[in-house]
Amino acid sequence: MGGKLESFGLGLRTEHYRDFLAAPQAVDWLELISENYLVAGGKPLYFLDRIRQDYPMVLHGVSLSIGSSDPLDAGYLRELRGLVDRVEPAWVSDHLCWTGTRSLNLHDLLPLPYTEETLRHLVPRVAQVQDALGQALLLENVSSYVRYLADEMSEWEFIRELVGRTGCELLLDVNNVYVSSVNHGFDPRVFIDAVPVEAVRQIHLAGHEDHGDYLIDTHDHPVCTAVWDLYAYTIGRLGPVATMIERDDHIPSLAELVGELDSARSLARRALATRKQAA
Amino acid sequence: MNSLPELQQRFQTAILGGEPTPGLFAEETPTREGGFAIYLQAYRARLTAALRDNFPVLARALGDDAFADMADAYIDRQPSHFRSIRWFGGTLADFLAAAPEHLPHPALLDLARMDWAMRSAFDAADAELLTFDEVAALRPEHWLGLSFRLIPSVRLVDLRWRIEPTWKALNADSAADSEEPEELPHTLLVWRRDLDCYWRSADACEARVLHALTRLASFADCCLLIAESGDQQAARTAAAFVQRWIAEGLLARD
Repeated sequence: MGGKLESFGLGLRTEHYRDFLAAPQAVDWLELISENYLVAGGKPLYFLDRIRQDYPMVLHGVSLSIGSSDPLDAGYLRELRGLVDRVEPAWVSDHLCWTGTRSLNLHDLLPLPYTEETLRHLVPRVAQVQDALGQALLLENVSSYVRYLADEMSEWEFIRELVGRTGCELLLDVNNVYVSSVNHGFDPRVFIDAVPVEAVRQIHLAGHEDHGDYLIDTHDHPVCTAVWDLYAYTIGRLGPVATMIERDDHIPSLAELVGELDSARSLARRALATRKQAA
Repeated sequence: MNSLPELQQRFQTAILGGEPTPGLFAEETPTREGGFAIYLQAYRARLTAALRDNFPVLARALGDDAFADMADAYIDRQPSHFRSIRWFGGTLADFLAAAPEHLPHPALLDLARMDWAMRSAFDAADAELLTFDEVAALRPEHWLGLSFRLIPSVRLVDLRWRIEPTWKALNADSAADSEEPEELPHTLLVWRRDLDCYWRSADACEARVLHALTRLASFADCCLLIAESGDQQAARTAAAFVQRWIAEGLLARD
């Protein structure tokens, strides 16, 4: 399903379980938050198994902590592999971040310092995860609110290096690029221009909170105009990429989200037509 | 320059301590808004929200401000070691037992215990249920050596207060009035059948037998336990328990 214009998905949320079972929906695939289904039984797995019969799925984790200075959590990888075997997802993703150290979990997607040391730390860990899961790992750029004095390169330079050294693929979160660009004062198109085209397998779109001087990535609003514009620019550069809308709070009706997904479809279609003319 | 482990340790210490750490970030934030402060606020907000999800009735009983104060104290004392935030709060009842000043009434500790039992039954492992027909097909001489197995979602919670009416009222209506609970030590039984969670109280004899079943006691052991309570017809009582448990979906097929 990757790389097809018609490939537009949504994050599966409990509020919409019964809608997906009641009638076919104009959604090509669904993304699961992996941790929500790393449970022994009950409703989560019941609905997962039934909805899986009708929709392709991808897994999206928040607990891998690929950049933590702690060892990777072998128990987590085993459980995730079990879920991979159950769901047979088209791909598995998590975030290019760390979530805690010394066995603690801050339950946040914390930015990494963009240094050679961090790159050297990540390379064998990406390989370890891909071996454990038996498939390629997609890593997602996170929204950030701080930059480190230790940074030796930009985020996009860091990502290019990481892809070159590991062969990992990317989940490009266009909203996160935009949020970070406002918070740190860079041109988001520079980021998009630097992304390795062949590595991008999926795109996230989402809403954020605007606090004037800074933005917070909250996933509780519709996608804003500036992010739609950046998405069109991204598709114009990358070509067709599987795209989905994330909503984690103030979750609207499924019909409303499907309508927002239709906007993404139309916008991508126009961006691709323009791209074709330019070529 | 900070090494990666040192940088992460300093960042984490700053989050846990609630204060920015100088010399780590490219832009020091002069105010409490933006930058690192977003991570500070998000940390507490996220964990407090997780506790509110896991302890919905306790949150209603305490009200927003008191619950947030209690959550703050718990987060300070027991930061998360869980890979999934869904499990955060598993030791909250123990924390409250040791720090009762966070509760306006000691019975609220039992609300916390009931909330957690309901939450943990929700996504416990599924099981195939033992049926009446399967038990009826057993030969009488096999009964004494039998071990009945409880389904994985069964939770047995020893409570000091009769808080179930309060839990039920607040679960249905956040603004429900409730009378002061009666002090009445007893055992709460929680389980899930299909997708829905159920609860009821168990009397002392039944609770002892159920606890014994969690240790894989045989039917004969159960009869002995019942006899110890002075019941002259222990086998008949045990059989009645089994009948009720099958009807309620508490016993798993081997």
